Amino acid sequence: MPKVTIAQNILAVNETIADEIHQSLTARKIRTINVMSSPGAGKTTLLERTVEKLRGQLKIGVIEGDIETSADAERMEAAGAETVQINTLGACHLEAHMVRDALSQLDLAQINLLVIENIGNLVCPASWDLGEDQRIVVASTTEGDDKPSKYPQMFAISQVLVINKIDLLPYVDYDIKKVRKQALEINPNLKIFELSSRTGEGLAAWCDWLVTFAQA
Amino acid sequence: MHELAIAQSIVEAIEAKAFECQATRVKCVRLKIGEASGIVGDSLAFNFEMLASLVPVLSGATLQIESLPHRAWCALCDKEFAVRNYIAQCPTCQEWSSNIISGTELQILDMEIEAPEKA
Repeated sequence: MPKVTIAQNILAVNETIADEIHQSLTARKIRTINVMSSPGAGKTTLLERTVEKLRGQLKIGVIEGDIETSADAERMEAAGAETVQINTLGACHLEAHMVRDALSQLDLAQINLLVIENIGNLVCPASWDLGEDQRIVVASTTEGDDKPSKYPQMFAISQVLVINKIDLLPYVDYDIKKVRKQALEINPNLKIFELSSRTGEGLAAWCDWLVTFAQA
Repeated sequence: MHELAIAQSIVEAIEAKAFECQATRVKCVRLKIGEASGIVGDSLAFNFEMLASLVPVLSGATLQIESLPHRAWCALCDKEFAVRNYIAQCPTCQEWSSNIISGTELQILDMEIEAPEKA
């Protein structure tokens, strides 16, 4: 029986589209982050506060990924970011072709930082490159403090870890040192921010980093 | 969790390739999957076989998965070592390594087909 050599990445089609997205955004001097977390870690609230704080400094465009509803896109629009909603209708992650379609609905001339908010899920989004420059994983103190060990791939492929909801530390059994240690064992180059979107504590350092990143 | 989407990507790639080679039937598809790729092999095979049954040329095709261990190379010790729990720390010198040499693969190797006899 004939054997046919294929030797290609299973996600080759996605990688090709992601490369095209990355080249086209880079040519327009737009920097891109892909924000991932489990559901409820506070991605949308973090991004709302970030957009509000950076108004006048950065022109931020947002692609909101959700399984259903346009509630998050409405929140981001209200915060002042031009936003496109993607509804995956069941799919547990965003893929590059969805981002490409969403980009055609954004006025790219008005943006220098593109934020892609992925589906709340610490497993699947790790496998799909969306053409981003940096991957941001958001963890929160209301989750278990064993997330890096339980979902190592997500922490291994990310460049930045944001630990959100630090205002709740007195009320929860969350050992932030343990989280930092686990995350850095998996990924020693991970840049870590500790903040509270609710009180604003630590938000300035994150925003400063974003401004430097977006203008690099 | 996302094995269905991965299986769909494999079916699309194989269907295109089968058309290219004028295959009348694909019997078997071989993959290389790294243990740190986040893919559950059994679940992938189940999803693949289900999707393949819907495509005539792939009907009955099976998936053979070669699993590759997560390994890294330590530049200081000039040695390979097994990465445990995604922690690429050299067991000899305790330094972290960014030289991952295997374990993240998501690769289609080849397929076995039936094609019309050439006259």
